[in-house]
Amino acid sequence: MSGTASKRPVPVPSNTSRPFWEAAKERRLVIQYDRQAKRWQFYPRAIGLDSGRRDLEWREVSGKGSVYSYTVTHIPTAGFEDKVPYALAIVDLDEGVRMLANVIHVAPDDVRIGMRVKVCWEEIGEDAVYFAFEPDLNS
Amino acid sequence: MIKNHLINRDIAIVAYGETKIERRSGKTVFEFAADVMEQILSRCGLKPADIDGFATNVSHSESANQYATTYMCDALGLTPRFMHVSDHGGGSGLACISRGAMAIQAGMCETVLVLGADAPTTSWNGKNLGYRPEFWDPTGIQGPAGAFGLLMHRYMAQYDLKFEALGKLAVSQREGAVLNENALESLRKPITIDDYLNSRPVSSPMRLLDAVMFADGGNGVLMMSTERARALGFKKIVHPIAYSEIVNFNGHEAQPDITETGFSVVGPEVLDKAGLAARDIRMFHPYDDFLIAMMLQLEQIGFCKHGEGSDFLLGTDVTWRGSLPINTGGGQISAGQVGLASGLTNLVEAVRQIFGEAGARQVADASNALVTGIGVIPYGGTWSVSTAMVLEQGQ
Repeated sequence: MSGTASKRPVPVPSNTSRPFWEAAKERRLVIQYDRQAKRWQFYPRAIGLDSGRRDLEWREVSGKGSVYSYTVTHIPTAGFEDKVPYALAIVDLDEGVRMLANVIHVAPDDVRIGMRVKVCWEEIGEDAVYFAFEPDLNS
Repeated sequence: MIKNHLINRDIAIVAYGETKIERRSGKTVFEFAADVMEQILSRCGLKPADIDGFATNVSHSESANQYATTYMCDALGLTPRFMHVSDHGGGSGLACISRGAMAIQAGMCETVLVLGADAPTTSWNGKNLGYRPEFWDPTGIQGPAGAFGLLMHRYMAQYDLKFEALGKLAVSQREGAVLNENALESLRKPITIDDYLNSRPVSSPMRLLDAVMFADGGNGVLMMSTERARALGFKKIVHPIAYSEIVNFNGHEAQPDITETGFSVVGPEVLDKAGLAARDIRMFHPYDDFLIAMMLQLEQIGFCKHGEGSDFLLGTDVTWRGSLPINTGGGQISAGQVGLASGLTNLVEAVRQIFGEAGARQVADASNALVTGIGVIPYGGTWSVSTAMVLEQGQ
């Protein structure tokens, strides 16, 4: 494949995750909520991890949160060759659930634990919108 | 009520086998397995027909083969009456030994070959599915190194991480690899703490010399009842005397403390099962994919307090000469990680030490050892599988 730029992987929705990606196309962040346990969970599962019941619904969330931890990647994976160095974080959403995502619109070395962030969206392929986070200057 | 099925010392490891670790060997998993089995059979004066139990890991090379373990039996000429395959990742080796022991105790078989073989740098057919294609791969995370970079920054936010302590661990293990003829040849050169500190950043604060390198190879042990080992005249035996495992630790938690691992459960538990305190452990052979993983194990098993791993390492000689020898053969970080057969590399070194066959790196008092396994990176977490086993020299 020399001479061909490698492509960033594009997610293929599963029957479980499809509502998440449908909402992402509209740039809305929806997360699974276990109605029995009254707890959020991410990534999408087929059952409530706490209750052991399939009484799950999708709820739109604020998209606001804070950086729980981060790393700056210096050796890129496929499709990220022109982005190094780039920042990745585990983000604690204010609702009480955790997501792994890129942190963009900020110098990678300026990302800090505890930093307030909000969700943003990147077009990563035809018909594919992926979540990321950016500094939230209003909180 | 969790019980200890090994406490009666009725199970014996009587032999080990291990190949040289290589990169891009061009060899198959079956060749590495054959090397290991031949070493074990030669040492014991046995034939394939004498083995009636077989337990192994899922390899990267054969992971697309739904029948890999049965094919392995066919390739090696084995006709087991008990067969087991573990996909605990780097926890597989100890998981196989624990289940092999149960099969012997239950009377399903008498002689179990526990074998690991993998050749990921020659043939890679592994594919992590689950959450990864949707919620991991598209983020550009640098695999396990990325996950451990996230872990290290979080640890630094909660505790005092001294990089010279990790460097000392890297230097000490490397000293073992220099003395280990089976270690990956390119790693059999001494390093300094400055070499560690100046090594290339991979996924900050993770450096190149924090991390393990994949390689090809194989290793294994032969187990039977202690009674049978005595009847067959084996003079050197090692008893597994306690084992604990936990899978998907904290997996149902939405926002767990990622610096806390399954070793906070299985570490104290396995010592309690063995009737030992951490200070009674003569050698520690922890699973080492990344240096920080060993520091977390030291803290959570109870060699030191949480957050005090750096000072513990700076104040302790962990070479083969030291008061707590750690991974005297170089561990995986300095000997190479033989794919998903990796869980047995440090176990085989512990058995070799207890047999008194470690040559220039022989530990003076190798009468017992604590060996661990780690496997599988969960979403946003540290590691899923933690396994721990205490080994004791047979009298």
